[in-house]
Amino acid sequence: MTIQEANLADRLAQIKGAKVIKSFCYTCPWQCPTEVYVRDGKVVYHKGNAQSPNNIGSRCAKGMASWYITQDPDRLKYPMLRTNAKGEPGQFKRISWDEAFSFIAGKLTHIANTFGPEAVALTCHHDPNTQFYRHLLGDLYGSPNMYAHTSGCEQDRRAACLTLFGHVFPMHDFANSRYVMLWGMNMLGANQGLWESRALLQAKKNGMKLVVIDPNFTETAQKADEWIPIRPGTDTALALAMCRVIIDENLHDAPFCDAYTEGFAGFREHLRLKDYAPAWAQDITGIDANTIVRLAREFATTKPAMSAIFKGSGYYTNGHDAGRACYILDAITGQVDGPGHLHLKDWAPLGLPVAIPDSAKGKSKNPPLHVAMGYPLAPDLPNSRLPEAVIDGKPYPVKGLWVHSTNPVMSDPNRDRVKEMFRHLELAVACELFMSETALECDIVLPETSFYEHAEIRQGMWLGPEVILCQPAVAPVGESKPSYEIAQGIARKMGWGDYFSYQKWEDWGELMMKDVPMSLDTLKEKGFWAGDINYGRVAKGLPTPSGKIEICSSEYAKHGYNSYPEWRERSVLPDQDYPLQVTHSKLSMHCNIVTQNNPYLMEIVGENWVEINSRDAARYGVQDGQPVWIESPKDKIKIKAKVTEGLVPGCISIRHGHGFGHWAMGSVAKGKGAHSNNLMDTHTNPVTGANCYNECKVRIRPA
Amino acid sequence: MQHGFYFDHQLCVKCHACEIACKTWNEVEIGPRWREVVKVETGTYPNVKAMNVSMACMHCGDAPCRNACPVAAISKRAEDGIVLVDENKCIGCGFCTWACPFNAPQLTALAGKMQKCNFCQTPGKTRPLDMPRACEEVCPTGAIKSGSLVELAKLNREKVAAKLGTTGIQGYPSLMVDAHQRFGPDAAE
Repeated sequence: MTIQEANLADRLAQIKGAKVIKSFCYTCPWQCPTEVYVRDGKVVYHKGNAQSPNNIGSRCAKGMASWYITQDPDRLKYPMLRTNAKGEPGQFKRISWDEAFSFIAGKLTHIANTFGPEAVALTCHHDPNTQFYRHLLGDLYGSPNMYAHTSGCEQDRRAACLTLFGHVFPMHDFANSRYVMLWGMNMLGANQGLWESRALLQAKKNGMKLVVIDPNFTETAQKADEWIPIRPGTDTALALAMCRVIIDENLHDAPFCDAYTEGFAGFREHLRLKDYAPAWAQDITGIDANTIVRLAREFATTKPAMSAIFKGSGYYTNGHDAGRACYILDAITGQVDGPGHLHLKDWAPLGLPVAIPDSAKGKSKNPPLHVAMGYPLAPDLPNSRLPEAVIDGKPYPVKGLWVHSTNPVMSDPNRDRVKEMFRHLELAVACELFMSETALECDIVLPETSFYEHAEIRQGMWLGPEVILCQPAVAPVGESKPSYEIAQGIARKMGWGDYFSYQKWEDWGELMMKDVPMSLDTLKEKGFWAGDINYGRVAKGLPTPSGKIEICSSEYAKHGYNSYPEWRERSVLPDQDYPLQVTHSKLSMHCNIVTQNNPYLMEIVGENWVEINSRDAARYGVQDGQPVWIESPKDKIKIKAKVTEGLVPGCISIRHGHGFGHWAMGSVAKGKGAHSNNLMDTHTNPVTGANCYNECKVRIRPA
Repeated sequence: MQHGFYFDHQLCVKCHACEIACKTWNEVEIGPRWREVVKVETGTYPNVKAMNVSMACMHCGDAPCRNACPVAAISKRAEDGIVLVDENKCIGCGFCTWACPFNAPQLTALAGKMQKCNFCQTPGKTRPLDMPRACEEVCPTGAIKSGSLVELAKLNREKVAAKLGTTGIQGYPSLMVDAHQRFGPDAAE
């Protein structure tokens, strides 16, 4: 695929009688640059930005259907204040924005005076405009607890990447790779980073070998040269055995290990002392020892190669070491940040939208929650532990929660406990597009504009440094406001209005763009800025404590963690009463909890299901397409079954378990499919604080 | 000159973007599906295979739907062979849906009329033939192409020619050849 002709947008606009506005899509956090076609104040078409190297004009289904959000009748239109007591589903009355700002400012002041600013926490879904709330609640108010949603996402591998490479989010240079090994990473199924999907498939056509290690025969496994069905939660053992083969057979890159890694000799010793070997890993993983040896040799001798990991290998209490071990494969073979490797991308020199002098910054007595909770290396809040802080006041009381474009009642494990947490908060604010399940538990709900109705500037998720812009294309729904106006309104009530002095979005946009080699006006015209792709960060020194790739991290020993990744069994194992292990998988046309009120997407897939191997289905009397009961020690759900050959026996795979079974949100979403997050109890990765969604055993029977 | 689609199943990831792009550009309501992506899975664990196919009207040379229509509502446009339905003539009998082997004609419940892929020739939203179709334009991996059959065949022939002298072409389906592996993996260096 090549860059589309330059005047295509003009021709399309002429046919539709529309004006083109360059923007980006925020349906999923990958956020593709787009062109929005507007006629008479309505979105009549939209497509990918044809000039952007990120998506070259293409879109995914969820992005393509996203225009519906501009006319969804279920959108929130006014600020809403709870009128009934906590503990029952919220009833709300319409209030004015001025009343909303005063209410929030009053509660915030009371909490700060009584408990300190650290008693207010923020959680979000990497919406770039959350920054305005961070400036308000983090900088000025002084809470250190400005968090995101990563512990429900790729926290385990994020922490591993930070430990080894000092980088928060590695990209994948598939286009130049000859051998790619993906662990629990279904990128073609999630279909979010579109340039990655395209590069992977094109490289494969050019002769690259693709190996997918996953209990599920995923959309990515479907395209692989080899699918390695692994027993769930055992990736660490497989990766460590492969490391052992590579080092024992001298297939590692010794000069690279000497020059650029910390702890290689100790790691070699660790593998031998623990006797991690292919035959040992065979018993744990269910993968033949000869296959392990062959894969290790192939990986180490086909260059350039890449070993990459995502969420699937996390979600267990041993998931963080899977991330470390998987990345150590890249490190010991000398394949980091060169062409065809795991790519430690450069970030664009994007500034902050609001300047707050140090003298104005608020201070808290207590450290951030993740540190106080005992997870000092967690890259984000261990949010499965947040209910303890709210309900029991441990490690210190949390009385206020600011929820921005996320829905923890649906997305976090142990749903009942999360709902219970909301009942104990003095101030729960939801900034939302819909009256979501979380909004229903809050004290006040603020209607936000969608990405078609406001401006945002953020880092692009392409291989090279990239800035992308979203700008207002149509009028806001009802009285909804963008984050930057909401934060400004509250700031004025708190006496901080001077710091939020912008009159229009371009004022803060200019501030963000001041170090980017492109003017805001040009950005508005083009929709993106992309810099050069640079390789070779390792030789220049990494932002780790040693400046090297840290196979052994001194930070780990300091906090009492194992210095090297080691094999530990996961926490919840199937037994006689509950013989099946839970795993999760996603859908390409739905994103998390945000797309289920879109009738165009629901037409393609309108409810979720559970997958089960045909052998297990026969054993438990499960018929394809029929409803079943899934029971864990904690709860049960009724859901449709899909009998498949593409799943390791002994486990089930719940497709999009947290995104369906809405009991709020809107008329289309409500009551479709089953919400599965109350099946599991609270399990937290001891190092990273990640949610362990797969630490759950169940039994299944026809319903 | 007959126009049609080219489809590379090796690139299709079943993301369904083509379906939504089709609906958005042509303003098709919920219900009829002019384009639909299906997955065909074969084999037994652990030897499983799967293929994704994005299907729409094939704009057949001798269209069975046209031949089945009792009121001559379906026609083939002379200049490009695109099969079109005249909703004013359609009586909603559904004979075309029985005749078509690909389930392309869609009967709308409300209007009681047949509709289907019209190669983006919807009145008021017609895409000239030198532009990509909406499904083709949106595809993240470039799995769908459109054009005259002569152009598409040429594209295909070039790809087959590129395969000669390499590892062999006998293993590939006739229309869906591996397009990019030119003279083996080392040739590019």
